[in-house]
Amino acid sequence: MLFFRSEEDLIQWLESKKVKRGAVLSIDQVWELSQRWYHNRMSLDYHGRTTEHIQEIFEELGLTSEFWKAA
Amino acid sequence: MTNKLCEIRAFVYDYFKETTQPPSVEDTAARFNLTTDEAALVYEELNQRHAFFLNPGTHNILMANPFSGVETPFKVHASGKTYSANCAWDSLGIPAALHADAEIKAICSQSGASIQLNIKDGKISSSDALVHFLVPFQDWYNDLVYT
Repeated sequence: MLFFRSEEDLIQWLESKKVKRGAVLSIDQVWELSQRWYHNRMSLDYHGRTTEHIQEIFEELGLTSEFWKAA
Repeated sequence: MTNKLCEIRAFVYDYFKETTQPPSVEDTAARFNLTTDEAALVYEELNQRHAFFLNPGTHNILMANPFSGVETPFKVHASGKTYSANCAWDSLGIPAALHADAEIKAICSQSGASIQLNIKDGKISSSDALVHFLVPFQDWYNDLVYT
């Protein structure tokens, strides 16, 4: 997952690398995702998460395309 | 996971938090009164469970997401320390995991322009920057470095 300063920079990068566009999130969206994904990572009680929970996190953030299908 | 696996996973994360680096297998063996071979086996099991990821063919921790065991261009300054994150997402993941204010310094992958973000009291500073996820979720763990 890489940072880009702008959409134009991303387009140039995709062309130069000859790779297909994946999913693009704003900084606010990634911060929301980070908090849901990592908030309990330091805990002794963290045991990973189920596929269902992962899908729930994505859906809560409106990430419902095929790209974000957990299973 | 067994209690021992959970304790060792948590130890690895605490070690990252305190030192910004992963513990060696010898560090972990000493902490839990294990032989190096026993600790290596635990590392292999935690790697297999995706609790963290070893550099292939070694017992060196490459990633315990969001922390990176090697230097990267994704720098996170938090709690008086400087951490390396594995990627753009994980650079925001470190303050989320630590529940800490942070300053993130990275670069635009196309232009090389500086990207700086600040986390303060759980809020992130405004930015027009974007994060591109190249690989669909189902393929993330096929090749983590590429992902």
